[in-house]
Formats: sequence, structure tokens, C-alpha cells
Amino acid sequence: MSYEFIALMMFSTMMVMLLTGQRVFGAIGFVAAAAALLLWGDGGTEMAFSAAMKLMKWYPLLTLPLFIYMGYMLSESGIADDLYKMFHVWMGPLRGGLAVGTIGLMVAISAMNGLSVAGMAIGATIALPELLRRGYDKIMVTGVIQAGSSLGILVPPSVVLVLYGMIARQPIGQLWLAGVFPGLLMAGLFILYIVVRCRLQPNLGPPLPEEERRVSWGVKLKLLRAGILPLLIFFLMTGLFLLGITSLVESSAVGAVSATLAALVRGRLTATVIHDTVRKTLGVSCMFMWIILAALCFGAVFDGLGAVKAIESFFVGQLGLGPWQILIMMQLSYLLMGMFLDDTAMLVIVAPLYVPLVGALGFDLIWYGVLYTITCQIAYMTPPFGYNLFLMRAMAPPEVTLMDIYRSIIPFVLVMVFGLALVTIFPEIALWLPEWHYDKTR
Amino acid sequence: MPKPIRLFVRYVDAVNRVFGLIAMYLVFGMIGILFYSTISKNFFEPSLWTLEMAQFAMVTYYLLGGGYSMQTGDHVRMDLLYSRWSDRTKAIVDAITILFLIFYLCLLLFGGISSTRYAIQYGEESYSSWAPPMAPIKVIMCVGITLMLLQVVATFFKDLAKARGKPLS
Repeated sequence: MSYEFIALMMFSTMMVMLLTGQRVFGAIGFVAAAAALLLWGDGGTEMAFSAAMKLMKWYPLLTLPLFIYMGYMLSESGIADDLYKMFHVWMGPLRGGLAVGTIGLMVAISAMNGLSVAGMAIGATIALPELLRRGYDKIMVTGVIQAGSSLGILVPPSVVLVLYGMIARQPIGQLWLAGVFPGLLMAGLFILYIVVRCRLQPNLGPPLPEEERRVSWGVKLKLLRAGILPLLIFFLMTGLFLLGITSLVESSAVGAVSATLAALVRGRLTATVIHDTVRKTLGVSCMFMWIILAALCFGAVFDGLGAVKAIESFFVGQLGLGPWQILIMMQLSYLLMGMFLDDTAMLVIVAPLYVPLVGALGFDLIWYGVLYTITCQIAYMTPPFGYNLFLMRAMAPPEVTLMDIYRSIIPFVLVMVFGLALVTIFPEIALWLPEWHYDKTR
Repeated sequence: MPKPIRLFVRYVDAVNRVFGLIAMYLVFGMIGILFYSTISKNFFEPSLWTLEMAQFAMVTYYLLGGGYSMQTGDHVRMDLLYSRWSDRTKAIVDAITILFLIFYLCLLLFGGISSTRYAIQYGEESYSSWAPPMAPIKVIMCVGITLMLLQVVATFFKDLAKARGKPLS
């Protein structure tokens, strides 16, 4: 049996195992451990545990539980309520303004947290009911929240870029900076889409009624104060890290402490809140960590099979494609696989296969990190398998059906693909800021 | 289900609830260690042990908490087909496919024990300037994997009971 065939067998077995609905980490871990045992006999028995030791050495993963903790703490702290109120009053008079404001809220939350969980929780509990009450179209609103919260992994800090940085051995600070403008670009495109769509179909997003619009300038300016605390948290966490004062993992601890303090200052830090937060944090962290543990073992087996070389020879030799064609093929294949396979596992299994090839083709790995993250964002949203879909289903009010959620993402996925194309064609969007920062500190 | 099995399930659930509670609050341990590291690095002498200690805490966190997270059903599934089945069908399929999960955890534990035995026998130390012994963390890892394995076996019995139409309450 050729190694390519074995690799293909492993992939399809994993696929079938996932379809049975067994827990994702179990499906992946089983295929990996069984393949190791079949291929290398006694030598393969320790592979599963070696992955645990490797995971321990991937210490930047410490940011994962801490960001999850921080996300839950922030949503409990009530910072988001104030921020929402601010955007509500300032953007409300526009057609579709509340949806635009929600994107603004999501950008602010993304700048404080590295996962989409926090944005999703806040969007579904604070923004969604409010928007539905004002007669916004439920399909559009659901899409806005899903697309907006997905910015969490592109705007720094970002856990996906941390994972990518470990796999591609690229500096995480540079990767985070590279995510800034693509993230803002994406938010801008979402806003553009909302404004244009609401101009064409005003019933989708009515402006606030006259009586609600009459807010004095004094009150309006006072509401801007809601932005101070988020800015402070952003500076303490990402700012101090970029200035070189804290290391990456330390910055996530600073973030966790500042989120806790924010909750304390606002009088929301009760024993129940703390217990709920740590309980949910453990659940989500364990889910991700066990998947990464299993996927690392799977990746190690793939590595042992020489899958990197096989993919390279497939793209370069057999298909005879040029560098750009290969890059586009890789993104397309990732999008396609991301629909059906678990997205975190995909990142851990597929990135190590693709990254060396991208490097060998002469592309910038920082830039590719951003492309990769945008692709991940899309993968997280596309059915049938996407974390954002799961979360949305769990959090959305009952009048939003599964079909609504599926339909809601279509326009936003198209917008994101357009954004992805822009960043692909103009790498400067991503690379300008890290290069500027690097020149300045040199 | 025979009584010993019901007792087993009840005890495993109880034990993992306790370990889950410990693991939950360990998040403050990680935050504390890293926050201390930030403060000490910038204002006092930088300390050697913080990063590695935080790594150990992270591994302890997700491995000791694993069993509890299994108990509370936090592990995501691909539910394209799964979500359309009846509860009974879900239980039947789960009772079969969970055996694959048990196989994986057994291999994980096997590798863990052999690695721990090596660490104890040769007094393995970490390659760092702090150079802590590796045996304690490896023992903790094996305990965590064992807890997970026990919980998965308990889940298997629960699924089996549900598949036979007599769920363990």
C-alpha cells in the first residue's frame, strides 16, 4: 500500500467516524491511534501520549483557556451593555443603523478577546433581542451577529493566529498586527453591505422612531464614556504585548485580570458569576484542548507518512500548477473541507501540511496567516459543521430557526470571500502595519 | 443494569464532579502564575519557574477536567445526521462508537504509563534552567486520562441502558 493511499484512508475513516456523531476528539483520536498502531506496531503505541507532551510544550496555548475565561467574564461584566447603548443611540437614526452599530460592537469586543465565543454570546443576548424588537429582519440580524463575532479571530488578539503562529513558526506579534487592517476592512465591507441592502429594502432595517431619536447632545457625549473601559483593556492586553512589556501568555493573564476587575468595579462579580464563568470556561477549554490533543496525534501520523511531500508532489508535479493556482486551490480545498470537518482539528491537521508548501513557493507566511484566518472564519460559519452555527443555535431565541441561521450567512460569506480576494490580491492590506512596526522598533 | 454497574456509574460521576471542581478553579492558578510573572519581570527579579509552572497547570487543567467535561456533555459532535435521530437511535449508535473512544483513551493511558515509568526510573528532568523533575506532572496526566477513561466507560453504560430502554436516571 502506498503512503498516499494510507493517508487517504485515514482521512475518509475520520470522515465516516465524524458522521456517526461520536464526539469529535474521539473520532479523530481513534483514527490516529489505530493508524499509528497498524503502521508502526509497538513503536506506534506511544504516539497518542507524545501528542500530550507536545501540547504541553505549545505553551502559547495557555492563551486559550484564559481568553475563554476573559470572554465569559466580559459578557458578565456589563461592559457590552453600555457599549451597545452607545452604538444604539449614535447609529440608530440611520437605516439599518442598529445592525451597523452591532458590527461596531463586535469589533470592539473582538479587540478585547481572541475568540468568537464572546462576541457570539454578547450579540445573541444583548443585540439580537433588541434588534428583533425594533422590527429588524431576523435573517439579516442573525447573519450580522455571526459575521460580526467571527471578527474575533481576525482582529488582535486572536487565538487562531496563535495556533497558526505555532505551526508556521512565525512571530505572533507580527501576525496580530497583520490582522488589524484586514479585520477593519472586513467590518467595513459588512457595514457597506448592510447600508446598501437597507437602502434597497428599507423594511429590513427601519431607523429608530422619531421619539427615540431625540437624545440631547449632552447625553450622547456621556454615552461615549462606555468606550473608555474597552480601550483600556485593549491597551493593557494587546498594547503592552506589542510594546514588549508583557509576553504573549502574560498578556492573556493581564487581560483576564482586567476583565475580572472590570466586573468587580461594576459590581457584577458575585460568587455565582465566578462559579458560572469558571464552569463554562472549563467546558469550552476541555472541548478545544482534547480536540487539539487528538489532532496533534493525527498530524504526527500524517507527518510520519510524508504527507507534506505527497501534497507538494501532487500539486506541483501531477497537476503542474503555478504558485498562485496552488494557493487558490489550497484555499478552496480548505473551505470545502472546513464545511464538513471539525474546524479546530482542520487547523491542527491541515495547516502543517500546507504551510511548508506555501513557504517553499515563496509566499509570505505572515500574509498567509491572515488568509488562513479569514478562511477559518468562513469555515466556522458554513454549514453543516461550524462552531458559530452550533453556538448560534444554542443561544438564539426560539423564533430564529435553524433554516434562518443557515440562510442568514449566505450574503455574509459572499462578502467575506470578496474580502479574502482583496487581501489576496493586495497583500499590503495585511503586511503594511507589521512592517511599519518592525521598521520602527528596529 | 446490574447493581455493581449502577454503583460504578454513580461513583465515577461523583469522583469526576470533585475533580471537575478542582480543575475549574485552577484557571485562577494559571492567571495567578502568569500575572505574578508579569509583575516580577517588570518590577523585581524575573523568575525562572513561572512559564513552565503555567504549562503544568494548563495540562493539569484540561486533563483533570476532562472527565467532568465528558460528564456534562461539553464535547462537540458533528451533528449533521446525529441531530435527526431519535434519542434511542442516538444511544444505540453512541454505545457502539464510544468503544472506539475507549480504545483511543486506552492507548493514551498506555503511552502515559510507559512514559511515567521512564520518568520515575531515570529521574527525568525538563530541559530548562529551572529543570523540574518530570515524574509528578506525568503522574497527574495519567490520573487525568484515567479519570476520563472511567467517565467514558460510565457514559458507555448510560448509553447501553438508554439503548435497552431503561435509562439510568
